[in-house]
Amino acid sequence: MSTAVLIFCTVSYHLILISVAGYSGWFNPDTVATLVASLISIAIVLFTTFYKRGGAAFKVREIAGLRAVEDAIGRATEMARPVLYTPGWGGDIQRPTTIASMNILSHIAEKTADYDCRLVYPTHDPVIMAVAQEVVKESYARVGFPDRYRAEDVAYVSSSQFGYAAAVDGLITRLQPASIFLLGTFEAESLILAETGNSINAIQIAGTDSTIQLSFFIVACDYTLIGEEVFAASGYLSGDKSILASVKAQDIMKVLIALFVVVAVIWSTIEAISNVPLSEWWVF
Amino acid sequence: MVGVLMGRRLPLAVCFVFGLVMFLQYFSEHPVAINLNQTILDYWQIVFAFTLIVGIFTYFKNNVTQISRGSDRPFRLVGLAGFVSMPLLALIWGIKADTPFMWMFENVQAPMQSTVFALLAFFVASASFRGFRARSLPAAVLLLSALLMLLSRSNIGGFFSEGLPEIANWIRDYPSMAARRAILIGIGLGSLTTSLRVIIGIERTWLGGDK
Amino acid sequence: MKRLEARHWTFLGLFVVVTITMLLNIKLEMKVSPYTQDMYTYIESLPEGSVLIISFDHEASSLPEIRPIALAVLRHAFKKGHKLIGVSLLAEGTLIGYRLMRQTADELDLEYGRDYAYLGFRPQYIAAILAMGESIQQTYPRDYLGAPYEQFELLNTVENYNDVAAVISIADGSLTTHWIEYGQARYGVKVLGAVTAAMVTTYDPYLASGQMYAMMGGLRGAAEYEKLIERDGGGARGMLAQSSAHLYVILLVVLGNIVYFVSRKQGGGS
Repeated sequence: MSTAVLIFCTVSYHLILISVAGYSGWFNPDTVATLVASLISIAIVLFTTFYKRGGAAFKVREIAGLRAVEDAIGRATEMARPVLYTPGWGGDIQRPTTIASMNILSHIAEKTADYDCRLVYPTHDPVIMAVAQEVVKESYARVGFPDRYRAEDVAYVSSSQFGYAAAVDGLITRLQPASIFLLGTFEAESLILAETGNSINAIQIAGTDSTIQLSFFIVACDYTLIGEEVFAASGYLSGDKSILASVKAQDIMKVLIALFVVVAVIWSTIEAISNVPLSEWWVF
Repeated sequence: MVGVLMGRRLPLAVCFVFGLVMFLQYFSEHPVAINLNQTILDYWQIVFAFTLIVGIFTYFKNNVTQISRGSDRPFRLVGLAGFVSMPLLALIWGIKADTPFMWMFENVQAPMQSTVFALLAFFVASASFRGFRARSLPAAVLLLSALLMLLSRSNIGGFFSEGLPEIANWIRDYPSMAARRAILIGIGLGSLTTSLRVIIGIERTWLGGDK
Repeated sequence: MKRLEARHWTFLGLFVVVTITMLLNIKLEMKVSPYTQDMYTYIESLPEGSVLIISFDHEASSLPEIRPIALAVLRHAFKKGHKLIGVSLLAEGTLIGYRLMRQTADELDLEYGRDYAYLGFRPQYIAAILAMGESIQQTYPRDYLGAPYEQFELLNTVENYNDVAAVISIADGSLTTHWIEYGQARYGVKVLGAVTAAMVTTYDPYLASGQMYAMMGGLRGAAEYEKLIERDGGGARGMLAQSSAHLYVILLVVLGNIVYFVSRKQGGGS
């Protein structure tokens, strides 16, 4: 991976050279602010990932919804009912939230395999289905129960939003899962699924990057992961140092953004008070 | 083993190269970069079309298997009927306006979808009845804000007070927006770090679970 | 027979309230919000003949809400003499968009290919938005009806977003975000949203930051727009049903709290 860091450094160096020299139309000067912000962010992520992960373990604060994961699967096992996991209609495989959701799925699949509890995973996207099948299959194999894996339980149901919602609702009503995980990108189907889950008294753990749907999940589900908690969840559950390192990187970037906002506020306040137009380098 | 290794390494290398290229081309307005971008986007659309075949095949296979086992037979039969009939109608008469395919779309599929969407209104009612309780001071504030928003978004809000929509807009534009922005920044940073992990190859879940 | 639970009664109540309201013919006065006014003012202030891309980014399910919104915007833009190019980033919105454009254009006897054109659907919305930024003709070599791009007078004047005044995304989901993140951020095209009520708050931060130029939302937005263009399109009537549903939900919330406090007083908690 040091090759990746090396490539990054070389590319950054040349990008800066090109942007400074403005080489014959190769560089679009309008994107300079975005370039600087991107390079700083990438440098922070690479630094924490490759240099900090070797040190002491990062501490991630307790997330109630994740503490409840094991209980939820245990409950389903005791009641001899399945666990239902669905990533929502709004995402596709290139969406980071879907990838974060896959990490959580991997952890949950290990548990369901271990407890011999059925895991049902309906999705709206054929690529997500193919990846999820591999993730679940590998998790089952990792804990030593490859025979418990059922390929037909990880299924593509419909690409249409409400076709998907109706299919998942139907599964919830017929299978009566004891625990439901709604983790991924959700749109208007969120409350339809969560309320149906609520009506059968399932324990529901939800998490999404769709801000508007968070309010629905908070009302209808037992636990809700808010935005970035979905990304932190995979590190929290697996203890994977590289994921935890990127959570640390996010915190560093958040502090920088907060400082930047404070400076920008002071800057524009001075501008407003003094009535003298200052440089707008920070506007992009 | 070599095959397995290549099986992992090749997609990782492709991901790294294309991730880097797409990142770099964003900052360029050179015709070469623009053409490269356009070509990659064309291929993206073509690849997507092929992924649908995977979905169609597994949907058909899954349902036929389940029907033969006798599980959820009526639902699966209805699903398969739609699955077979819509492409057939499209192949025979096309998909333009006033074709049987479009008749089915407008008179069967669209009303069914609207029906499921309409469930949302009913679920909002039941969730509000159950969930909006003034259990604590913050919950009471939240409840009050929700009531103000509901009143202002209907055209009866004005009857109670002319200032009601202004108060609701203020809640929407300041406290609510501040919270949402904070969440959005967190999500943006989470997305950035996850994407970077994918590009540099330490995040491999998308390959099917190899951490 | 299974006994009805509390939630079933709430469902039944909503059905009754909305049905009764829909049967009544009450006209409620309303004030136009600054958001809708901004959208109207922008379209109004564009020079006649400006080209607008109207993107039908919705599914069939939201048609009852989307239809009045789209009708209001299309009628206004056509009436002002703007040239409209219709596209769709969701397959299900394609025919709906075509029908709505045709209907509103026919009302003013406008000519297809000169005053408006409909390009139809392209899969993979992000790729489609980015590709149109480079070349609309390359993204859509043919229009929705299969005729070559270069055949139409209007399309011949448009190469990419540089020749377009703005994109108006008529959406029931988060697709407008992609117009902002890729169309606006990458190519600098102005993005306006005409979205369903549930999506309004999603776009507020973009509106406040200026990344989204203007937005009208939900049946209320449609009803307000209808008032501005003085033309009924079903928004006001839908708004009546929505208002009654809102009142009903308020009633339920109040009732839920009374039940909660009474049961807490009796020591039952909740």
